[in-house]
Amino acid sequence: MISKIINMAEKIKDAEDRLLESMFDSRPIADDGFSVRIMRKVRRRLWFRRLALPVAAVTGGAIAFKPLVGLVTALANLWSLIPADLVSGTTGSIPPFQTVLLGAILLAAGLLGMRLLEE
Amino acid sequence: MSASADNELVARVVSAQNTAAFGELVRRHQSHVRNFLRKLAGDYALADDLAQDCFMHAWDKLQTFSGRGSFIGWLLKVAYTTFLQSKRKSKRYAEILDTAGRVADQESRSPVQPDDEVTDLDKYLAVLSEEERAIMIMSYACGLSHREIGDATDMPVGTVKSVIFRGKEKIRNSFDIKDHQHG
Repeated sequence: MISKIINMAEKIKDAEDRLLESMFDSRPIADDGFSVRIMRKVRRRLWFRRLALPVAAVTGGAIAFKPLVGLVTALANLWSLIPADLVSGTTGSIPPFQTVLLGAILLAAGLLGMRLLEE
Repeated sequence: MSASADNELVARVVSAQNTAAFGELVRRHQSHVRNFLRKLAGDYALADDLAQDCFMHAWDKLQTFSGRGSFIGWLLKVAYTTFLQSKRKSKRYAEILDTAGRVADQESRSPVQPDDEVTDLDKYLAVLSEEERAIMIMSYACGLSHREIGDATDMPVGTVKSVIFRGKEKIRNSFDIKDHQHG
């Protein structure tokens, strides 16, 4: 009720208000390709966003591939240095190192993928 | 231009990134936004650049439109913010040029309205501060309510009313607007 009264009070205009309104009034501006330019920009941005993630993933993967292979090889070599009898005692309960590492990488990739899908 | 149609278009854009619906919103409101920025900036080319930026910001932030006020009110808020940001940036740019000992040739850069096209309205707007100008344009040219202007400028309704009152007083004191012959 109060807001209606306020709105009505706002709509009551004196001659000066009407004069100002007529002076501020301007002709509508023709589109003249303005909206087409905006839509072109919007589509470009949309495509850029859609492509950015896969491109970043592929680039990151390509950059990280060689060091990752080196790291895995180094860890595998390190594993081979551990005395066999020490390892054999745990083989019954713990899976091989490579399997654990692969599992960890898959888990991390899965979690990352889930988060990206959520976003 | 109904508010419910605007809200429907906004919902389509937000839910499915529907570019056609956004295009329709641009077509419906480009004239209002460009008119607002042209009056505010006083430079048609700059105003149209700012209007493009405004619609791109609107595309990015459309999900923040709650649908409580009018869409054009929200859009003019984005336009006003875009204008203020651009002004701040150009000021910083001028300061950098100044520090480097170079003079920015602003007159030759921006095609402002020619002198013979200066209207009565331009003269009236010239006596107002930037904030008063923005609020007066929103009120008298865009037909926004005081509440909508308050939302657009982040000001209480009472402040909006007093700014309009002050603006009218300035125009009244500088010009005899009763003698103005319109048309």
